[in-house]
Amino acid sequence: MLPFKTAARRAEAQDNDPAPARPLAGITQLQQWFGRPATFRGAMAGIVLLLILGPFVFSQYITVIMTNALLYVVLCLGLNVVVGKAGLLDLGYAAFFAVGAYTTGILTLQFGWNFWASIPVALVAAAISGVIIGGPTLRLRSDYLAIVTLGFGEIVRFSARNLEITGAASGLSGIQQPRLFGWTIDSAVDFYYVFVVLAIGAVIASIRLSDSRIGRAWLYVRHDEDAAEAMGINRVAVKLAAYVTGAIYGAIGGIFFAVNLGAISPESFSFEQSVLILMAVILGGMGKIPGVILGAFIIVLGPELLRDLGELRLLVFAIGLLLIMLFRPSGIWPGRTQ
Amino acid sequence: MEFRIARRRTLLALAAIGAGALAAPVIAQDGPITIGVQVPTTGPEATYGNDMLNAVKVAVEEINGDGGLLGRQVELAVGDSACDPQASVNAASKLASQEVDGVVGGYCSGATLPTLKVYGDANIPFVITASNSTKLIPANPGNAFMINSTGADQSTKVVDFLSGKGVETLAIVDQGDAYSQDLANLTAERWKEAGHEVVATETVNKGEQDYSALTTKIRSLNPDAVLWTAYYADGGLLIRQLRQSGYQGVIAVGDGSNSPKLFEIAGQAAEGVFGFSNPTAEFLPAAASFIESYKAANDNAPGPYAPLTYDGMKLLAWAIDKAGTTDHAAVIEALASADQAEWLSGPISFTDENTLARSNFIVLEGKDGAWTRAAE
Repeated sequence: MLPFKTAARRAEAQDNDPAPARPLAGITQLQQWFGRPATFRGAMAGIVLLLILGPFVFSQYITVIMTNALLYVVLCLGLNVVVGKAGLLDLGYAAFFAVGAYTTGILTLQFGWNFWASIPVALVAAAISGVIIGGPTLRLRSDYLAIVTLGFGEIVRFSARNLEITGAASGLSGIQQPRLFGWTIDSAVDFYYVFVVLAIGAVIASIRLSDSRIGRAWLYVRHDEDAAEAMGINRVAVKLAAYVTGAIYGAIGGIFFAVNLGAISPESFSFEQSVLILMAVILGGMGKIPGVILGAFIIVLGPELLRDLGELRLLVFAIGLLLIMLFRPSGIWPGRTQ
Repeated sequence: MEFRIARRRTLLALAAIGAGALAAPVIAQDGPITIGVQVPTTGPEATYGNDMLNAVKVAVEEINGDGGLLGRQVELAVGDSACDPQASVNAASKLASQEVDGVVGGYCSGATLPTLKVYGDANIPFVITASNSTKLIPANPGNAFMINSTGADQSTKVVDFLSGKGVETLAIVDQGDAYSQDLANLTAERWKEAGHEVVATETVNKGEQDYSALTTKIRSLNPDAVLWTAYYADGGLLIRQLRQSGYQGVIAVGDGSNSPKLFEIAGQAAEGVFGFSNPTAEFLPAAASFIESYKAANDNAPGPYAPLTYDGMKLLAWAIDKAGTTDHAAVIEALASADQAEWLSGPISFTDENTLARSNFIVLEGKDGAWTRAAE
């Protein structure tokens, strides 16, 4: 066990920002301040309180945008497990998002299931699709892995677009809003709170996962697959676990996305969607949970804050992203020092 | 002394602000009427979206020039739907939060669909001027009114016209989005009902550059006619490649492709192509003055959805005027009672489902690099 531990520690040490060249002073300080357990808990409680009180201050528009941002927090944390933790580049992550959304949509609309009963089925379906994409790609690395996952994402979208049961190109509409103990979740504020709960759950799960045995195994596999296997890590199981975990995050996002919009169509699960989620993960800093959350918020709020610029908004947003990547090549959030 | 004067000024300023705040609700009653415009001003369909926005601006200028609405000026708030379901919900929520008095627009049906709930919850009158997928009808909570003829109306027109041309076998190509597939399916159904044959229904991907696989297949099936149900950008390429492959039959395009830009992309190949169209300005006798004021304000001629969108804005204004208030329920009631003939696109009245009671499709033909009205 001892060699493994040392190697894992070394792997973790390498995981630190290799060249913290000119770190932005403010962010480093913030991160150090954040590192203290007491302030960390205080900050977390503060953020949760702000999230809960939010809708009392927000307009409906801001509530909708925040709901959207929280959805992306869940999705980005899921992709972070695959890309950030296990180091498996996935360009088809929207596929899992689609599997969750469509499973719920089909079961509730075509088969008249209760929404809550459809959730476990959707999660199982996502886990299976995680294994389907994980299985053939186990031997692949870098570019090849990216190509296969890209293909998988497109296969799922094209299937959705051509199958009768998924409503073909028009998608599914009229998905009923769920009820919970006599409370119908239907207004923008209701869904905001649902996504607050989901996002907080996703953050806690992510923190617990990265501190767990499997979290360390992912880290190890990411840095040196062969060495990890030599040390007794089951490479196959560990990689599959990463895909399945990521898929479940994606499906959870998809399930609630479907009932929130009430209508889903293949356009929502395009390659651009996968890229957007990946962009948020890279922007915030791969593998760093607070960074990924920050990335998700930037990706969603950025274009909305710039809405008044009209046609120029996407151009300005893109230039902003380029500048961030230029000055913070390994993501906004600084590397962890332990 | 100086300090005290400064303080007194501050106090005065504060008092003025306070008075202003108190007076605000009174002013609001005479403030402008805000109308939301939900169109794609970015993304692949931005050309159409901006065209619709310009048409609304022409209508609003006329309304404000005539002394406004209920004695108040009309102001616009633009929501960019980007032809994307999620982006359009964001835009719609923003308009709903701004408490607009009504919304005009709606281009991509797939993006308009989820916004129906947003406006429905706030009970905001929504005049849909371009989106016409039949999927919108069951999702309409009752506050939305579609003034474009639906896909069902268009497919009837397509079948009638092509049958009249002696076409027996038909190949239908769509782009896999809600709108074009809806039209393709409806037409295929009606074409078979009319006793003719559909030899192929194909779906191509948006943005594809090379259609050789498709043109080879069509060449070998050699149908009497090919119908393209999606938009002009890809349609132009397809028409060119079809003609290059040697296909000689009839080519017809749905109303998403009736832009003059089709000729820029397809060139010579677009000669003799039939286009089904909702009433566009240049073919409407009543639209002469609209074209003039549109051209005066913009460098280009009004596009295919401009007259309908202009009508949509005027219809909403008419309804607010008739209701005598901006109260949503009253305006919706007034819209439902619309029974007027003097619109650019022809008479507007609604069925129980808030769709246009009478189809207004026309047939066009490509001649010398432009659309002309075809003999029907």
